[in-house]
Amino acid sequence: MDWINITNAAINGIVLGLLLALPALAVTLVFGIARFPHAAVGDYMTFGAYTAILVQSFMSASLVAAALIASAATAFLSLFFYAWVFRSLSQRSPVSSLIASIGVAFAVRSVITFFAGQSQYVIEAPLVRAWNFSGVRILPTDLYVAATAVLALAAVFFMLHFTAFGRRMRAVADNPELAAASGIRVREVMITLSVIVGAFCGLGGMLMGFKAVVLPELGWELILPIFASVILGGIGSPVGAVCGMILFGISQEIASLYVGASYKLVLAFVVLLLVLLIRPQGMFGKIIAVR
Amino acid sequence: MEFYLIAISISVLIYMLMASGLSLQYGFTGLVNFGYVGFFAIGAYTSGLLSLQGVPLPVSFLAAMLLAGALAYPLGIITLRLGGDYLAIITLGFSETVRILLMKEDWLTRGVHGVPGLPRVFDDWAGVSSGDLTLLLLLLVVNIAVFALIAYLVRSPFGRIIASIRDNEVAVRALGKNPAAFKTRSLMLGSALAGLAGAFQAHYVTFIAPEQFVPLITFYVWIAIIVGGPNRILGIVVGTIILLTFLEGSRFMRDFVGGVSEVQLASVRFFIIGMALICTILYRPNGLFPDKFSKGK
Repeated sequence: MDWINITNAAINGIVLGLLLALPALAVTLVFGIARFPHAAVGDYMTFGAYTAILVQSFMSASLVAAALIASAATAFLSLFFYAWVFRSLSQRSPVSSLIASIGVAFAVRSVITFFAGQSQYVIEAPLVRAWNFSGVRILPTDLYVAATAVLALAAVFFMLHFTAFGRRMRAVADNPELAAASGIRVREVMITLSVIVGAFCGLGGMLMGFKAVVLPELGWELILPIFASVILGGIGSPVGAVCGMILFGISQEIASLYVGASYKLVLAFVVLLLVLLIRPQGMFGKIIAVR
Repeated sequence: MEFYLIAISISVLIYMLMASGLSLQYGFTGLVNFGYVGFFAIGAYTSGLLSLQGVPLPVSFLAAMLLAGALAYPLGIITLRLGGDYLAIITLGFSETVRILLMKEDWLTRGVHGVPGLPRVFDDWAGVSSGDLTLLLLLLVVNIAVFALIAYLVRSPFGRIIASIRDNEVAVRALGKNPAAFKTRSLMLGSALAGLAGAFQAHYVTFIAPEQFVPLITFYVWIAIIVGGPNRILGIVVGTIILLTFLEGSRFMRDFVGGVSEVQLASVRFFIIGMALICTILYRPNGLFPDKFSKGK
């Protein structure tokens, strides 16, 4: 395998990793703050992608507008499920939220397949030619995707580390009882968290649909790579989620040059096993103790 | 009608076997296995492929149980010492990996085409017509034996330890027991039961294909155990019957509701499964038949 192919795969992996870093960040924040693995993020992504399709076909809106509406709609969806399901489960064992999140995932996906069927859709975008640097190809659309993801990630990192609200969020992640005792409104933090989760998954799903095709299993099939990367980065660590996801994206794309694309999920599983075996705290995290 | 009743009873009993195994893991030990169908698939393929090589069925059934149980060992050893919800993620990954390998490694499994023509359990000496009835009786015996085993285990020292791990792991650790070792054993035993159920399924349907082992099956079993009450044998029985009534009943729904396509019908079933998971956890956390000692979890 020559270097040009590997470079192309790596570039593709970085774009994919940046894009999936959006839902990965959502997963790690939920893990850190609400303390359960949120299995519905994949299907929130699917919902975002289908919303974008719907917006495009009925309103012939621009891509930017479609992306904004998709993230807003998914944020509402996430908020709805927080208000109905996860709010009441927050006082119970994390296992309850975990099982309920599977239910949420199924409910969302079934509504999509009921109305849209099993057939695949594409998000309409103007065709562009790749820039070619003596074999190394870069798609301008990939640059837009990556730039959008970077912007969104930067916004959340700014919020987490440079605003009072971000400090409150980190305080709740650190110790919810202590945070509540010192006057932080945990409810408010949770609502913001749900909005971020929805918006990021919706945007991520729309970008994923833009890069590939839109299918009902779009998000569900990404859950495992996302969880593997979150654990690789260290559960609850936002920087870890982004780095883990990019690293995973690159290795997935390079590995699929050798073993074929259908083994992507197997790779995620192997990474997951190795990380848990060798360094369960991941790159940037702590071991989650039994709660 | 008679044939239909026998067929549906066999399905109920196969699901009940799976529900017993998962209930041992979740209801009695508190382990969240989201990849249960993976062990079911391992059992089905192990027994199916071995029997085609001429291995007698009792041996291939045993191999199915042993292999499914043995594959649970590394997953348990790696994740259960860590606590938290790693097991849920790793088992989900396991079942999807198994399904992909079954699809892609077609030198062994014939890939998506599946493996047809597996031998049926009692056809050699009971004939086709009474073979199913004999199988039904065998499944009934196996299920009763498994219930007896669970009832015995729960009352044994092992059962008390796994129940206390579920309720308070730190306390168990303080008593000098290693929770991971007990949890791994429970995981292996439950997975071996899934393997056994898989072997029964394979030789009853006589055809195995990767599409039979999608994650949805795992959550069918989850529904069965949480609707009934995850740590009661009565709960397992009633939950499985409710599940199969729903699955069978929804097949006839199309006759009553016109203008619904196959995909939409599947979506409605899927929606009801999702909603049932959410609503049971929200409003009936201990199922219809809560254990009298259990508090809201």
